[in-house]
Amino acid sequence: MVFIPTDRFLVLSGVNMIKRLKEFFSSLFNNSEKDDLSIGIYGPPNAGKSTLANQISLDLTGEEMANVSEVPHETRAVERKEKVEIKSDGQTLDINLLDMPGISTNVDFKDFTEHGIEEEDAKGRAKEATKGIVEAIKYLDDVDACLVIFDSTEDPYTQVNVTIIGNLEAKDIPILVVANKIDKEGSEPDRVRDAFPQHPVVEISAKEGENIDKLYQEIVERLS
Amino acid sequence: MGEEGVTIEFLSKEKLNAEEFEEKLELVLEKVKDDAVLVLEEAWTPEEKRHLIKNSMEQIDEDFPGVEFMGLDSSTSRLEKAKNAIYRKIMKEEYRSGITIVGNSRVMDKIKEERDSVSFLAKMED
Repeated sequence: MVFIPTDRFLVLSGVNMIKRLKEFFSSLFNNSEKDDLSIGIYGPPNAGKSTLANQISLDLTGEEMANVSEVPHETRAVERKEKVEIKSDGQTLDINLLDMPGISTNVDFKDFTEHGIEEEDAKGRAKEATKGIVEAIKYLDDVDACLVIFDSTEDPYTQVNVTIIGNLEAKDIPILVVANKIDKEGSEPDRVRDAFPQHPVVEISAKEGENIDKLYQEIVERLS
Repeated sequence: MGEEGVTIEFLSKEKLNAEEFEEKLELVLEKVKDDAVLVLEEAWTPEEKRHLIKNSMEQIDEDFPGVEFMGLDSSTSRLEKAKNAIYRKIMKEEYRSGITIVGNSRVMDKIKEERDSVSFLAKMED
């Protein structure tokens, strides 16, 4: 009888899941007439979109793709990891992973000065943030599937979040809802489930890498 | 905002029905930038709310930080979605039962939304 240490089993399980994720993207490729597929990561500011994008990008390409910060609107333009090459069964698939600016209904430069940023710089950031939000909204027409991520310590039932989900539903774009930051005190992922009962919800901590393998499993099972 | 408080303006569905969405959006943003809070006697679709966000973003400057908006409608349930789809098909227009509240984010605070109730604090400028 061979005993496998638990930590090693988890590593093997994670590797297997990444393999399945790659297979999922390959299956999308096989069923699509497009040359490449765009997977958008949407959500409000500071939900953990860039942290998750980095985690996925690191797993699939070995490289991170975005800056991460506690300051809201750190991502002020759509960050793309284009032509992420995935090989499976002799075929090659290029996907575009899109880390979207957080969508909000208002951008006040004072939100930046509160984080110690000089006023002039804060005004510049606010202007960039508004352009980023417009860009993210325009991309709602162009993505092929979406991960919509929420901070599970915050109330997810807001008009912005309902609007993002509603627009994706109207276009029949596959959605996987992600309840992030489950490692933090005050996390209530059930509120995310209650807010969007029509969609599957995966609970993760993108920062700690917790349940990322489950996320990959859900992507494979649900979005395909 | 007036001298002593926030103006809250109610717009009836009859008035709103008389206008195309683009005109309505322009009117709403014009009033909201003047610090009014509008209560519209109609629900907006996700696509229309998306245009509200996009257009308000394009108008943000140092004097206008953007909007807050809330809605009361039941369009997230499957039954309501089905009813809406049938209504759209037969009437060739959107099913708009509900209300929408839009205001300048400078004067709306402590937004609280549930499926069957919404509230906010009308904030006086510092």
